[in-house]
Amino acid sequence: MGKLTIGSFSSLVGSLSLDFAIKLSEAAIQKGHKVDLWVSGNATMLSKKGQKAFKDYSALAKKVQELVASGNLQVTACEACAEARGYHKEDTMEGVKRFSMDWYLASTFTADRVLHIGGD
Amino acid sequence: MKLGVFLSDYRTGAEVFDRLTADKLGIILVGNGIYNATIKENGKPSSVLDKKASYYVLSEDLESRGFSAANVDSRVKVVTYGDVVDLIFNDYEKTIWI
Amino acid sequence: MATKKLGFVIRTLPYKIEGSRLAMTHAISSQTVEIYLADGDLVEPVVCFIGDGVLNCLKSQQAMKNYGLTSLEQHIKNSLLLDLNVLICKEDVDKFGIKEEALIMDAEDIGGETKAKIVPYSEIQKAMESVDHLLFC
Repeated sequence: MGKLTIGSFSSLVGSLSLDFAIKLSEAAIQKGHKVDLWVSGNATMLSKKGQKAFKDYSALAKKVQELVASGNLQVTACEACAEARGYHKEDTMEGVKRFSMDWYLASTFTADRVLHIGGD
Repeated sequence: MKLGVFLSDYRTGAEVFDRLTADKLGIILVGNGIYNATIKENGKPSSVLDKKASYYVLSEDLESRGFSAANVDSRVKVVTYGDVVDLIFNDYEKTIWI
Repeated sequence: MATKKLGFVIRTLPYKIEGSRLAMTHAISSQTVEIYLADGDLVEPVVCFIGDGVLNCLKSQQAMKNYGLTSLEQHIKNSLLLDLNVLICKEDVDKFGIKEEALIMDAEDIGGETKAKIVPYSEIQKAMESVDHLLFC
């Protein structure tokens, strides 16, 4: 089985691109693959703890935490992008890491496939 | 190269999309890109479907927008997220998102 | 020892969304990626501007003055200072009627030696085929 690295700059809630990234990650894990998900720019919203689930909005936190707990999804947020948005280390969801942008490039080094979802 | 293109929009990206070529080209319609598989304007299907490529549309995004497989252009195969994973790992060595 | 090549293909306009900015900063971060890799392993980016993306390359951007924000111009110059390979699509530059002198082609004012290249789309296609992974922004 292989490793898929997904990078996303898309906003949480409102775009559904992050929802796509999470559902694709789940499907890949179900097929036996491992996934690295890098969130940068507005996608760092995904890393913030305390998200409330309402039916009118995407609610990804619970699924993210389940997949991270499986050991097959690694979610890493861009530290600079998060800090610029006021998300500090203590605001980060359990299981989500924070590193600088070179982490993403390192992840692609060992990935079998890379899907980069640009910002919107 | 074997290139999988995730087309996520209906109106934008044409100037880039039109120029994409590969030895093996797959177009995977997701998000609002699914409208290319289902909508005709003035009776004509989307020109996105005219490329020499294999076409796929994500069933979850199709259904979310009120369509079913019955609405999909005959050139397009309906796939699930699981199928998309297989396309990424087995069919297309590089994937991009437009 | 291995080198993986990443193609950052920038197709979006600057400032309204951050895709092109983040593409540049991620490409530039290749300078420090080795801390995560085995000795001798590298990630080598190539940056290609296509479609509307060529408009990121216009000179005289005043983002810092007006918004207190590093301009795409500065990011592109930084990438040239760090000897990244920067390609700008000729057909798209011509389509917009842009002359070479209006584009950021070098970083000489900050000590850079590498120049950007205006190339036909066919060269960008070759670059896309040559890299290990593509990141369209």
